Amino acid sequence: MDCEKFDRIVLDLLYEELDELTSAAARRHMEHCARCRGIGSGLRATRQIGGLPLLEAPSGLEQRILDAERNARAELPLRQRLGRSISVMAGYAMRPQLAMAALLLLMIGSSLLFLRAKPGARESLQVTERGIPESESETVTVVPMPAKARAGEPASEARPGAAERDSKKAELGAGADELERGFAASPPPAAAPAEVEEQKTEKSPTSGLTLDDGNSGDRDYDQGMSDYRARRFGAAQKNFDSVANRGGSNAPMAELFAAQAARNESGCSTAAPRFESINGKHRGTGVGNEALWQAGDCYRAMGDRESARRTFKQLIGVSGYDDRAQRALASLDEEPVADQRKAAKPGAAKAPAPAGGKQQQTQKAVPKAKPPSTGQAQ
Amino acid sequence: MATSRGDATDEMLMVRYQRGDREAFAELVRRHKTPIYNFVLRQVRQGNTAEDVTQDVFLRVVQNASEFKHEARFSTWLYTIARNLCVDHLRKQTHRRHPSLDQPVTQNGEDSRPLVDHLADAHPRASVERTAVAGEVAGRIVAAVEKLPDDQREVFLLREVANLPFKEIAEITGVGENTVKSRMRYALDRLQEALSDFEEYARALR
Repeated sequence: MDCEKFDRIVLDLLYEELDELTSAAARRHMEHCARCRGIGSGLRATRQIGGLPLLEAPSGLEQRILDAERNARAELPLRQRLGRSISVMAGYAMRPQLAMAALLLLMIGSSLLFLRAKPGARESLQVTERGIPESESETVTVVPMPAKARAGEPASEARPGAAERDSKKAELGAGADELERGFAASPPPAAAPAEVEEQKTEKSPTSGLTLDDGNSGDRDYDQGMSDYRARRFGAAQKNFDSVANRGGSNAPMAELFAAQAARNESGCSTAAPRFESINGKHRGTGVGNEALWQAGDCYRAMGDRESARRTFKQLIGVSGYDDRAQRALASLDEEPVADQRKAAKPGAAKAPAPAGGKQQQTQKAVPKAKPPSTGQAQ
Repeated sequence: MATSRGDATDEMLMVRYQRGDREAFAELVRRHKTPIYNFVLRQVRQGNTAEDVTQDVFLRVVQNASEFKHEARFSTWLYTIARNLCVDHLRKQTHRRHPSLDQPVTQNGEDSRPLVDHLADAHPRASVERTAVAGEVAGRIVAAVEKLPDDQREVFLLREVANLPFKEIAEITGVGENTVKSRMRYALDRLQEALSDFEEYARALR
């Protein structure tokens, strides 16, 4: 160490702010340097003599300060007091234990996002199938509609048991009035768009039968209905024939559907004798009357006015068919034969039509015919 | 295990006071009231004024407690406040009158002894035989300190009264550490010159 460096550190040496090594070096330098030794001893002596003695603070000063502190705290604005409270809370929040707890909660919370519900945990699953819109070129289709669905009850509530279904079918075959409501042979005359839409959603593509038609217990019948809706009329006919041959409460309806499927698949020349046959087997019942009406319609479509007239005449006086039969008879004289034959070709009635479509088709095929005055009841 | 107030550092006490512990503030007052009072007294040279300024210093601590940063040193913050208040006070007194050593120092009106008597009594190494010499030395010291330029006196008091290291003094005064040491060296040289008559006394003290 030289004198220049000693001058720089002499105060640190005096107030003992030097590290051990530098302090020892400075002392060694003072031992053999008279100048620096003199400076060091002189400053030390001055400090010893010139150290200012401390006066005791006045006795009441501490209390005055504490009183002033209490007053000052009371006068602190709300903002500062709030800031102080936040500072206190933040001080606690910054503790490692709380930070770890917060991290743990965050991990648990985030893991909940990845948990899946167990399969089958839900009590029930409801699937709703909407109706498929049909084209305007489709023809009128006769399909039954269960009584409960007609009353506007929800499909889920209209699902009856097997015995209930049988009794309905028996009911359907018993009276024409019941069948009037169960068959949608004619489109609703002045159904509002909203009503038509509602019917579309409630009924099957065949426009008269709801998806839950009460026959779901019969696999062939159900399959037949499914095929019919999918316009697989050949397969539908086969399934309905199977049900009809087996007998039972569904047999009359199956026969009717089979004949209808045959009309759509092969044309009226095939279907008309079947409708006549059904009428012969179930004469006087709802199914028989409906088959008779369909047979007449087929004859009219084929241009066989005599057969049509003969058929429609049998429906005069039958409740639910009287008006229609009379109108049909009246229109037979006015319809051009060519149009009738054209409409009788196979494939012209390939697909059933919704209510609105049916109305348009009817009006197109029978331009001068008056629209039916009643809805599904006709 | 919680640290008791007596063992806690100034910074810990200040943090506790920020959280509402008023007793921590009382402990800080007990620790620092005397050095602060003396620092202020040597600057303003009036007992009553020094008392008021000292109270203001702690009042500023209360008002700005939320601004105190935990990583800062409390003593640096406290003496910065004290220094600023002293500077403000001295600035306001354009024609300040320096109290004479013979002027009575009044403390709440109770004490009317001359300042030199206080200094002589307070000197820890004073003995009965040396009372007269000590009184004269103390008078010389106070007079020499008063004659120091403001910047040198300020550094001298912060070093000798507040016992702050040069680094903190540099922080408080806002100048470099070397400048602080230079001012301190000048101050000691002036004191040495003023007390040259008492070299023998100093040797006797060693």
